[in-house]
Order: sequence, then structure tokens, then C-alpha cells
Amino acid sequence: MGQTIAEKIFSRAGGRPVKEGDIIYPEPDLVTTHDWYVVNFDKVLQELGIERLHAPHKLLISTDHEPVATSPLAAQRQRQVREIVRKYGIEHFYDVGRGGHGHVFPMEKGFVRPGMLVIAYDIHVTNYGALGCMGIPVVTEISEVLACGNVWLKVPHTVRINLVGQLGPGITIRDVAQKMISLIDVDAADYAAFEIGGPGLASVDFSGRQVLCNTPIEIGAKTAFIEPDQQTLDYLQTRTSEPIELIKSDPDARFHTVIEIDLGLVEPQVAVPPTPDKVVGVSQLVGKKIDHAFLGSCAAPGISDLAMAARILKGKKIHESVRFFVTPSTFEVMSEATVLGYIQILVDAGASITAPGCGVCAGGKIGTMADGEVSINTGTRNDFGRLGAMNSEIYLASAATVAASALVGAITDPRPYLID
Amino acid sequence: MNLTMRGRCWKFGDNVGIDGDMMPLEFALKRETNPAVLGPYLMTGIDPDFPKKVKPGDIIVGGKRFAQGNPHIQGLIGISAHGLGLVVESIQRGSYRNAINAGVPFLPNCQGVSAQVETGDEIEVNFATGVLINHTRGTQFQYQPLAASQLEIITAGGWRAQLEARVTAMRVNDLRPSPP
Repeated sequence: MGQTIAEKIFSRAGGRPVKEGDIIYPEPDLVTTHDWYVVNFDKVLQELGIERLHAPHKLLISTDHEPVATSPLAAQRQRQVREIVRKYGIEHFYDVGRGGHGHVFPMEKGFVRPGMLVIAYDIHVTNYGALGCMGIPVVTEISEVLACGNVWLKVPHTVRINLVGQLGPGITIRDVAQKMISLIDVDAADYAAFEIGGPGLASVDFSGRQVLCNTPIEIGAKTAFIEPDQQTLDYLQTRTSEPIELIKSDPDARFHTVIEIDLGLVEPQVAVPPTPDKVVGVSQLVGKKIDHAFLGSCAAPGISDLAMAARILKGKKIHESVRFFVTPSTFEVMSEATVLGYIQILVDAGASITAPGCGVCAGGKIGTMADGEVSINTGTRNDFGRLGAMNSEIYLASAATVAASALVGAITDPRPYLID
Repeated sequence: MNLTMRGRCWKFGDNVGIDGDMMPLEFALKRETNPAVLGPYLMTGIDPDFPKKVKPGDIIVGGKRFAQGNPHIQGLIGISAHGLGLVVESIQRGSYRNAINAGVPFLPNCQGVSAQVETGDEIEVNFATGVLINHTRGTQFQYQPLAASQLEIITAGGWRAQLEARVTAMRVNDLRPSPP
């Protein structure tokens, strides 16, 4: 029997042929954590008497959750992180003002390639799937990976997504990604690898590929990745000199489920509180007043998201009762958006641009919400209280829907602003 | 730890939630991990007297999607605090890891088990072989057990205890990386 991409990656990293369901201790090619867990893993390592990491050269740390420290406590934590980085001799440390969002910039900088296994503290590491890499989140066990080099993982079954059709005018991949997770049976998704391919994939840009790999985590998937293709090679051409293999599942590999997803949606999709898979067409919410809007996070990571917002807001002002925060995911994206004039357009429209990283989405440390307020944003999750007050409401949507809603002051179908 | 348990069955249905059903959410928010604190609240969202009724060796039988929701470990620590076993039709990914990390002996994939047992039945489960015997009804079932490496973690007492043992073994065998 042939192997899926997940089985192939785990076979290589585990040092023996494996199949779905096997429990193994695979050696990751890269390990990542963010600024909010460094002090925590160091505490565990100290308790264990560990003074040297198993593989410090494989560890990448990003200051992305709270790059702009908002309290003396946060500033103190940043200092501790820098001390810990020095103590263990961690070379790949991207501090304030360096890389940006840790689920995005490592791809820009050539750390991520097809067929790699990455183990991370933080669930949305699956963004690396945009380059055909398998990102696997673990939680407290990241300390074991750092101390011993690995931790047990179960080889997942595969949910194969075949993209077909093409996006309609004013519809984005975020709409498709939200619709996709609302359609898939949670029992099939649980502990699954999502392998995304099909004839529609070629038309999905790098940002869109990240979004498709980002959302399945919300319904319990273990990981998600695209089947790497020519676009992957083109993206990596100038970013790495390492050899690149376009890994594919064998023709006789066993998929748990095969699902066709049509890019040709009828209308933009909005996730209503409190979970990202509670998705409705925007027409059901049009007119709902908003106080707060946010464009950013690893679920809207690319230049195309900023381009969409700039197109809608060019020469206009956002509604007077709305505060609108925009966080470019990385310094590379922010720089490109500056050169292309998007930042100027957004600033002129009244948006507040924040430092690259997770932005508002990281627990609402910045741009927090008050009692009873309503937000529409491109973040990853919409649990009650995620961005502040427990009784504030978060609606998740595409960059286009968020920008159009910020303009109008209420949830708005963006298509009239995008169709020439 | 003995991987066979014999005791009373406590049956819960499908979709038992981690927060609320198994353990009040406040303990997850406080990151409370002390078994002595969590034990008295186990399953009180469904049965307020549950912690007073169970004895070590008793077995919780859950339906589909047991321990669903945001994967907080507190409910699973509550199970190990009482020395209980766990048999479920299915369990969400994060809770599957947490059950192992909390040192709870369990069978993760027992399709149809809810129809074969009732609360109060005397049941016996061998978590190493996957055999479940219902002594009250005189029936026996075979399910898939966890892998040996996962049972080792449970036998060690959970993730932290196993990690300490692993680090000690690395030292003894001089497997630590040499200085740069």
C-alpha cells in the first residue's frame, strides 16, 4: 500500500516506514516557540536540571505575541526571554522589530521547505503547510522536545481536500476556508492531517494557501498542508539553496476521507461567535453595527489581504464610530505594502497600523474590546472574551469583508466595492 | 501501576465537555494542576455527588467525543486523582494527549461500548490488552489498546514523571549532546 504525504514525512523523520495510527518519536527538522512560552519552558528545563538544549540550532523563537510590550511585566518578560536565548545559545531568535509573525516570516526567510517536520508551541504553526511542510503543535511537551529531541506523536489519518472551480468576484480564500471547516465532519477532522490539492490549488496565492492550512486546526485537525507545486518552487527559488522535493501521496495511498471543495462560493462567509466553524453567508448579518475592526493575524497573513483592504478603502474614510487596527504579519509584508502604497491608503482612511506580529488576535493585549462591543476581524478565533470583555462579540471574515464593514460601520458585503 | 482495573462502571453519554461537565472552568483559568484540589470537583457539572460515590478502580465509560472542547488537562487530572480508569467511544485529540499526560489508563476507541454497559455494572478492563469484561452481564469485548510507549507514560504516572525518568536515563547513558 502506498503512503500519504503525512506517512512519508513521518517515515523519514521517524527513521522507519510508518502508517496511520503508529506511535513514533520523530526527530523534527525545526522547532518553534513564541515569546509567551520561553520563560515557561525554561522553568521546566531548570526543574529537570537541563542546561543544554538537545538541538539549539533547530530552535526558532519569535517575539510576535506581544512585540510592543504593554506593561512593565511584559517588558520584564522580554528581558527574561533575551537572557534565556543567550543562556542556551539560540541562534535563530527574532526579537522585536525583526521577523514579525512566527507562523509566517520563517517561510519568507527560507526556514521552511516541502516535506519538513516542524514541532511548535502554538497551534497555527500549520501555516507552514502553505509550502508543503508539516507543522505539528504540541503544548507543554515542547519542553520534552527541547530537552530530549522529540516527543511521541501519532501518525495521523489524512483528510484529502480537492479544490475545484474558481473564486467568484469579491470572494476570497478566507471565505472558502471558513466554509470548508463548517462542512467537514468533526469526527473525521479530529487528529487528521489535511492534505490540500486538486485543480483549483494553482489559482490560490501564497497567502490563501496559508489560510487554507490555518483554519482546519479550529475543528481539531492535527496538521494541514498543501500538495507542493510549481508555485512552491517559484516562491522558494530566491529564499533557499537547499534541495526541494515536491512530495506527493502515492496513487494507492489510503485517505480517510476525500472532499471536494468548490472555490465558486455564492457569497462571502462570516463566522459568528463563539467558534470559527459557525459560519453563515454575509447576507444574514448585513447591517449589524460594529465598534471594532482588525485586519491581521496568521489567518490573514499576506500582501493580498492588505491589497484587498486598500482597494476598498482607497480615497475613503472609515466610519466615525469604528476603530480599525491593521497589523501586517511580517516586516517583509509591511515593507512591500509600503512600497505598493497600501499603507498610505489605509492610514489616510483612518486605520491604525501596528507593529508586525499577531496584532490584536493574541488575546487582545492591544486593541482590546469593552463590554458589549462588536468586532469584525480576520483573527483566528472568536471565543467569548478572547479580545477583552467576556460579553463582547467577535465575527470572523475576510480582509475584504472587514474593510468594507469598517467603512460602513456595520457588517457589509464587500462585493459592490470590488466589482468594477 | 497495574494496568488491569476492576470496579463499578459509571456511564456518561456522548459529548461530555471538558470545561463545565468534567471540571469547573475556573480551575483551567487558574492553571490548577494539584490532584487533591481537582479531585473533589470531578464530573460535578453532571453529577454533583460523583466524587463522593467513586472508588479507586472504578471505570468511567464515555460515549463519542468524550472530553470535548478547549483541551484543558484539569478534568483528566481529576480522573487520575481518584485512581479511575476510562473507556470511551472516541476522545478529542487534545484530551487524548492530556489523558496520557495525566497518567489516566484509558481505551480511546471503543465503538459501541455504551450499549454494552450500564452504571453500576461490575466491569474489568485490561488497558494493556484492550479486553473489557462485564461481570454483571457475563460479556466480554476486545478493543484496541494504546501503544506500549504510551502505556509506559501512564505507568510512570504521567508526562512529567516520565520526562524526569527519560532525562535521568539520558544522563545515565550519557546521551546528552556534547558541548559545542
